[in-house]
Amino acid sequence: MIAFSNALLALTLLSVLLSLASHRLVALVKIMAFQGIVVSLIPLFLEQHMTIGSIMMLQVMILIKGFLIPGFIYVAVKKIKIRREIEPIIGYHASLFTGLIFILISAFIADRIYASQSLPGEHMLLMITAITTLASGLFLLMARYKAITQVIGYLMMENGIYLFGTALAKQTHTQYIVEFGVLLDLLVGIMIMGIVLNNINSTFDDVDTALLGQLKE
Amino acid sequence: MLEFTCLIPIFTGIIAMFLPVRFGRGILVVTALLHLQLTIMAWLGKITPGLPQYFSASPDGLLVLLVTSFIFLFISIYAVSYMSETEIQSEPIYIGCTLFFLATMSMVALADHLIVLWIAIEATTLMSAPLIFLNRSKSALEATWKYVLICSVGIALALLGCFFIILAMDIGNIQVPISFSALSVVATQLDPMWLKAGFIFLVIGYGTKMGLAPMHTWLPDAHSEAPSPASALLSGALLNCAFLGVYRSHQLLYKAGLGDFSGNILIGFGLLSMLVAAVFIFNQTGYKRMLAYSSIENMGIIAFGVGIGGLATYGAMLHLIHHSLIKSSLFLSSGNILLGYGSKLISKTGNMAKVFPKTFTAFFAGFAGISGFPPFGIFVSELLIILGAFQKGRTISISIFIIALVLIFAGASRLVMKMSFGKWDDEILVDENMARVLPSYALLLTSIILCVWMPDNLYQTILSAIATIGGSSNG
Repeated sequence: MIAFSNALLALTLLSVLLSLASHRLVALVKIMAFQGIVVSLIPLFLEQHMTIGSIMMLQVMILIKGFLIPGFIYVAVKKIKIRREIEPIIGYHASLFTGLIFILISAFIADRIYASQSLPGEHMLLMITAITTLASGLFLLMARYKAITQVIGYLMMENGIYLFGTALAKQTHTQYIVEFGVLLDLLVGIMIMGIVLNNINSTFDDVDTALLGQLKE
Repeated sequence: MLEFTCLIPIFTGIIAMFLPVRFGRGILVVTALLHLQLTIMAWLGKITPGLPQYFSASPDGLLVLLVTSFIFLFISIYAVSYMSETEIQSEPIYIGCTLFFLATMSMVALADHLIVLWIAIEATTLMSAPLIFLNRSKSALEATWKYVLICSVGIALALLGCFFIILAMDIGNIQVPISFSALSVVATQLDPMWLKAGFIFLVIGYGTKMGLAPMHTWLPDAHSEAPSPASALLSGALLNCAFLGVYRSHQLLYKAGLGDFSGNILIGFGLLSMLVAAVFIFNQTGYKRMLAYSSIENMGIIAFGVGIGGLATYGAMLHLIHHSLIKSSLFLSSGNILLGYGSKLISKTGNMAKVFPKTFTAFFAGFAGISGFPPFGIFVSELLIILGAFQKGRTISISIFIIALVLIFAGASRLVMKMSFGKWDDEILVDENMARVLPSYALLLTSIILCVWMPDNLYQTILSAIATIGGSSNG
């Protein structure tokens, strides 16, 4: 089963790189939906034995990460009629390159962590993917002007944290905490941001945070 | 049932949302009184947590709860008068969210479970965001967007910190509930590397909420765009709650024998916050932004004091109390100024001493207090922090500390002088009235009284709160 989970992790990494390079918002939302499903499937192939509870939880995660939230964002994108990020702060090729560098750095960090700790080495790739996703999410959040792209970056960061939780909290009671925490965080972050986005929409015609530049020193 | 301190505001908040505004204002004050009563009962040990695995009445939590509850009462009295003077759209939502905000802050103060604390701090962001967005202007929107986004990123990183601490438990093969009280008993068996990593993420996460530089960027915008009663709550109560998250993590590390590591990180963040505030306060154009930068400075002072340890910790706890009292009073006065001059810009104000003598008294006294002049409590707390740092031989950091204090005083006093005695000959929009000045006076007076006479109960609680990180009141 390890091999299958590695394939999923590779797909996650691919989706991270794709999202860094994509300039059409609809495509970006689709990539995020795909990433959400893949990320929430990963625990299925890592667990030795699953309880009814954790299987139920898995369904909920797939529903939220894969369908609900990308659905919300999709509706928002359609409603405000923006198709692409016109002027990213950091260009697409540069972003893609940064993503590759993130993979290198996270491989290095994961290697150091596993070398110094007596953790089971089989989750090494999981750790690499987790750090890369987290870092790329943060990067996307900072490197784009549009409010929606920032939300997508935040979502990606959350996926990274979820993976981190799965990578680290293997053995014991912690499993539920990982899911519960992210569940709430996801719901909450997106709901409020959705509302805020709505208001951004009705206040100006454009959902561009570059317009939000009134308050500065 | 200590949990009633959270449940009652939630309940009354829901009611207030559906009632006409007149009743809503009454509910706000009544709830504040009830909350204060419950808090005092908790202090006297009359009520205990109903769910001890999630909540506890720790001394540091009780301290924050009391401060929150106390200033909330005065802010709500002020808010009643303020709201009748201004046109607040959707006032029921404002009242409801203020009460929910109080509920979530009480939950932070009482939480003992790692994840419950995290959820509670997340909830404070959610409940306070509508308060900032109340004016529905373009700049309010920008402030809210920044606030929600930056704090969400912070809170996500704090969750990662929680994971790391739980991992430190797993590696040490410890089976205890994931609560601060249970973890501090077994702290020495936790894995130190993951504990340190967890602390760093928790400080970054909760520090974002607390306004530590360089994660402070949301704070000046949010504090200046929110209506004044809400700014007073944000600055006087919310920042303390976020600090509690940092403080609890520091306690855990101290128990694990890593107190030096976490203390140094806190000192670093504290000094950086003070320096950033000193640089940015100099050329502020808005008085609410000036006050917001002063909050960043004061949070830096508290973090610094806690990081130093010993006598300075006692100073930091005093500073927490007095900063909340004085800063919320200042924000309430700034609400009067905003009503009177109709602008947040310092250049549009002036000659306050003549035009608004009562507000001027409160604002100027508050400014003297926040700058560390006697007879206000900040004088004592800053002095204790400086003495404590000298005792520990931290000469370099204490010199940076003092330089930053002087710079901030110099920068802010220039602006305050302009507001108080500068030229101004225009019409005043809304005259000051007693209902909007008395709460400020009361808060300032409390700070003076606490300076000369402190109830024994309060003193003992502060001592037991700081005893867990090796602090004491006699060095």
